[in-house]
Amino acid sequence: MIRFENVSKTYKNGTVALRDVSLNIEKGEFVFLVGSSGSGKTTCLRLLLREESPDSGRILELGRDIGTMPKWRVPYLRRNIGCVFQDFRLLPTKTVFENVAFAQEVIGRPRSTVESQVPQILELVGLADKRNNLPSELSGGEQQRVAVARAFVNRPLVLLADEPTGNLDPTNSEQIMTLLERINKTGTTVVMATHDKGLVDRMRRRVIELDGGELVRDQLRGVYGLDEPAGGF
Amino acid sequence: MRVFLRYAVRETFSNLWRNRLMTLAAVLTVAVSLTLVGAALMFKQSASQASVVWEQQTKVTVWMNASAKPAEMSSIESQLKASPYIHGTCAFQTQQQSYHQALILLPESMSSVLRVQHMPSAFLCVPVVPTDASILISTFSGQPGVLTVTAPIKAIHQMQQAIRVVQYVAIALALTLLVSAIVLILNTIRLAIFARRREVSVMKLVGATNWFIRMPFISEGFMQGLFGSLVSVGLLVLLHIWYPFTGNEFHLSTQDLVGTSIVVVAVGVLIGSIGSAFAIRRFLDV
Repeated sequence: MIRFENVSKTYKNGTVALRDVSLNIEKGEFVFLVGSSGSGKTTCLRLLLREESPDSGRILELGRDIGTMPKWRVPYLRRNIGCVFQDFRLLPTKTVFENVAFAQEVIGRPRSTVESQVPQILELVGLADKRNNLPSELSGGEQQRVAVARAFVNRPLVLLADEPTGNLDPTNSEQIMTLLERINKTGTTVVMATHDKGLVDRMRRRVIELDGGELVRDQLRGVYGLDEPAGGF
Repeated sequence: MRVFLRYAVRETFSNLWRNRLMTLAAVLTVAVSLTLVGAALMFKQSASQASVVWEQQTKVTVWMNASAKPAEMSSIESQLKASPYIHGTCAFQTQQQSYHQALILLPESMSSVLRVQHMPSAFLCVPVVPTDASILISTFSGQPGVLTVTAPIKAIHQMQQAIRVVQYVAIALALTLLVSAIVLILNTIRLAIFARRREVSVMKLVGATNWFIRMPFISEGFMQGLFGSLVSVGLLVLLHIWYPFTGNEFHLSTQDLVGTSIVVVAVGVLIGSIGSAFAIRRFLDV
């Protein structure tokens, strides 16, 4: 589903973001991307969204080499990838319903589909009764759930989340994680970059750790950090 | 396609309304700038109109000696009749008529010494095209019985020269105003788009194609250009109504007004839509 082959990326200002990273993520996996700030987590996600291109190496995603993909194909790639960010990125002038419906309109779904699928997904994230509210009228947790709904409404094959719980309290973080797990159960591959040690330790999913742009750990059913394992020895 | 069209129309109008202050700014900018451009164009048309009218009034006068013999008179007359450079037939001004004209034109101290029998008679001719006047002058000057041949070529030439300068100034003014209008409109649109770059980035993330993102902005710019240029046309109509030179050679026809209006609307609409497309370009490159 996702494969990095010796991927390196250096930004124009000279920062080395990724150094010779190779990894493979299968369909339906739930993967945590951990590491300190500047370790290259966000760059990985940006590469997967084709917001950046690698300097060397290949990235295969959904069966395509996205490094050599022509620009005009990028929107079609993104339609199969949902993404959630720490800062929600909702449109402040649109209601909850419109924000989610937007993702469907953009790809030309007919109105009848939008009318039936958006309420469904709002039900799933528990915001059916807030459909006509503006983002500013919602709590942070609720806003993030709208963002998850928007990311998932088109049933993407891959869901990327860049510290989705970074701005949330533990209760709301838990809700978001539950949602991501449910989405993962439908067969969607989930890649989540996070700093939240507690979350990672509790979930016991595959953990990929980056440090200074290098892959230092790839562990099935892992914890956040090896040096301080959950429960101790 | 239907989904897209409905989306584009809805977005266009909701954005125009949501950013109504910006819309107003853009519309007024377009209106004011294009009115100035249109006024300069109308001024130019009016000047060239006057130039044409003056040219058409060029007359060549063949003055005959007071002592010219009847044979000389008839020879000149038949030559004038045969000349291909003359439009229609020449009017004949008798010595009596010349005398009356002189009485009107000259102060009494001078005219009192004039006698009818000393006055020249004249043929008043209209050349086919104004430039033929100089040919007529060289043909008929010095012929037996001819006193002199005159045409207000020099005066008209100087007038035309002056008007040409005025026209160039008007065109330069219109072009300068047009450039500043384009810059102002581009800047206004860019500000509007900059305020919505977040929206654009979200659209990119959910997989909108560039045309999908661009379309509402372009039609928004189109509408702003259209509204602005319509206001400007209104102002030009008022200018035409209150135009101070009606009834003389600077007269502006309704046709000129319509022509100017078409130019103004076309420029407004083009600047609006192309300006938007141009302004959004760099926000699309994500």
